[in-house]
Amino acid sequence: MKKSGWLRRLCAGLLCASMAACCSSCADDDRGGTGNGSAPTSGTLTVWAWDDNFNVRAARAAADAYQRANPDATVQVVSMAQDDIVAKLNTAFSAGNYKGLPDIVLIEDYRIQSYLQSYPGELADLSDVTDPQAFMDYKLKVMTDTDGRICGVPFDSGVCALFYRTDYIEQAGYTREDMNDLTWEKYIEIGRAVREKTGHAMLTLDPNDLSQIRMMMQSAGAWYVGDDGQTVTIRDNTALREAILLYKQMIDAGIATQVSGWDPFVKAFQDGAVATVPTGCWIAPSISQAADQSGKWAVAPLPRMGNVADATHYTNLGGCAWYVVAHSPNAALAKDFLSKTFASDGALLNQLAADIGLVSTLKSVSTMSNYSAGVEFYGGQAIFQDFARWTEQIPPVNYGQFTYDIEEVMTGTVQSVVNGADLDAALDSAQTQAEAIIVG
Amino acid sequence: MQEEIDLSGKLKRNGGGRAAKTPGKTMRAGPLERRLGMWGWGFTALGTFLILMFVFYPMVQALILSFQTGRGANLRFAGTANYARIFTDDILWKALGNTFIYLIIQVPVMILLALVISTLLNDRKLRFRGLFRVAIFLPCVTSLVSYSLIMKSIFSNDGLFNQILMGLHLIDSPILWTTDAFWARALIILSITWRWTGYNMIFYLSGLQNIDPSIYEAADIDGANAWHKFWHITVPMLRPIILFTTITSTIGTLQLFDEVMNITQGGPANATITISQYIYNLCFKYSPNFGYAAAVAFIVVLIILALSFLQLRIGGDRRDA
Repeated sequence: MKKSGWLRRLCAGLLCASMAACCSSCADDDRGGTGNGSAPTSGTLTVWAWDDNFNVRAARAAADAYQRANPDATVQVVSMAQDDIVAKLNTAFSAGNYKGLPDIVLIEDYRIQSYLQSYPGELADLSDVTDPQAFMDYKLKVMTDTDGRICGVPFDSGVCALFYRTDYIEQAGYTREDMNDLTWEKYIEIGRAVREKTGHAMLTLDPNDLSQIRMMMQSAGAWYVGDDGQTVTIRDNTALREAILLYKQMIDAGIATQVSGWDPFVKAFQDGAVATVPTGCWIAPSISQAADQSGKWAVAPLPRMGNVADATHYTNLGGCAWYVVAHSPNAALAKDFLSKTFASDGALLNQLAADIGLVSTLKSVSTMSNYSAGVEFYGGQAIFQDFARWTEQIPPVNYGQFTYDIEEVMTGTVQSVVNGADLDAALDSAQTQAEAIIVG
Repeated sequence: MQEEIDLSGKLKRNGGGRAAKTPGKTMRAGPLERRLGMWGWGFTALGTFLILMFVFYPMVQALILSFQTGRGANLRFAGTANYARIFTDDILWKALGNTFIYLIIQVPVMILLALVISTLLNDRKLRFRGLFRVAIFLPCVTSLVSYSLIMKSIFSNDGLFNQILMGLHLIDSPILWTTDAFWARALIILSITWRWTGYNMIFYLSGLQNIDPSIYEAADIDGANAWHKFWHITVPMLRPIILFTTITSTIGTLQLFDEVMNITQGGPANATITISQYIYNLCFKYSPNFGYAAAVAFIVVLIILALSFLQLRIGGDRRDA
């Protein structure tokens, strides 16, 4: 009697154990990405994103759409400052402690290589979620690791454009036609006229943030580092050289207002203090917040560097993508969520264009209804169609993992050149500094 | 201080004397003392353990980390490479330079200001004394981040301060408080002085309460003026407190982070970056390099040790040094 009871319990235990083993291997299959049909559709997902007006709203819209189709799944979107997300991911990944981490996280394009290379294996391989044919090339390059795996689901385009005040430009004696196919040299000339005739500055520049120079550099297919993401290419970088010279000319011509940080930057154009805003297309919602300026704005392609042979009108600034934390217990559900929303749902992305001004990097969206529609604030111009068209022509570059490291060196370099230092010597010293950073 | 030492010395001697007088009891007192000693160790064990765990163990780990290099989780030993890099790192030297500018200008100005204000507010005949004290101490209870943000908005290029100056026709074009290197540093110094002067003033006020009024009365009879009294009575009597506030302010300035992070982000072009902010950037803004960040942190430790030692030597009593 006694013995059989003990045996029964043992058998029951073994059975349980074998069932558990079976379950865990199923989950492994899903994690590997081959699970078709068996992907879980219930559970709770957590998503971290920053910017309540843009990224967070997009994630909430995706969560609503997914929950409608999968009533057993719950998706919680947590709004958090980007700096906090970065610090939390860094500490959790280096400690190997994944408690409290989300399942899905938004990471900026300039930073993603740093995560992929500093913490190998911490972000899931999403090659089976993201179809490389469906997305723009330049965007995919950003999130491809050294083994060629796509580790993220592309989100917004950071395609750059020249937003300008038609009234100021006309007062300065130029027409809308003049603004298309500009060179930066011509842009500075117009800036002088604007300053003279209207008393307004042409643009804002932030000495802490070299986005102006990064935009120009990528428009010619160049970056601080070479295609391997490791070799520093500051010394003999024609595009970078020319970009710094143009930056200096803008300041010397007195057409730039200096600002520090995001809020003064936005305030400048919302107050009508500048005639143009050359930046990423994600600024459109902030520009149209000043409802009293409706109809006074237009969008042109970004000016091109006249003295650089490879220079184009097309470049990128910022932008981010969605990633799955590999050690998340809900990784399979997280992949399912992304594959059914940001990786494929054209209708959702089309709606987000109207709601938050999202320019998607999913190719098929560019032909959808909200993209061909005119936007009243911009005088009926179909700006999304333009953005989508320009996004396709952005020269792909490898940002590498050191963009912010090198930028810290470059802010000092650019400032010294603006104050009259010799450009060649300054670039030479920046090259040495940047090389030391990459070695260290 | 001298009295205390004498007293404890006497106590020890007495204790020893008592033990010597009762030789018969030493046999039994031995185990008791040992037991009491064990209780003592028992009580301190928890604290000791916590300090070992949460202070000394991380310090040792950080020291080990400072000899490693690599990004994020890819750490490997690199000997003294991190310490060697310190000598060629322009940004670090800039951060050190900025920190010393803050230190050399801000700490003396603030200490002097706090001394003068506390002396003025210690005057018994002054009306609304409590109100003034509260007003000057109030900055210390505001959060570092919120006051930094307010400073940033007041001193932005088209902020309140510039508008007032322009309105009064004192300046033609706005002062570029956040985008010009010189003015950005001036703004940081201004901000931390505003925030911390009241804090130091409180120490001086409490010190002034302990100065016997009869000393000032005697000085009055001798015909000393206010300056003489301040310089020859107040300052020497407050010397230990001045030393204390100087050391804490120095350490505070070397660890300056919140203000710079929030007001200028270290800009323009690293003109206001501090060592603490650089350490933060190395870990979280740039591609994470914890090994080098730890090495820079140890440099700060060395600097604080050296400066504190120097200040004790110069300002402290010979007994303290």
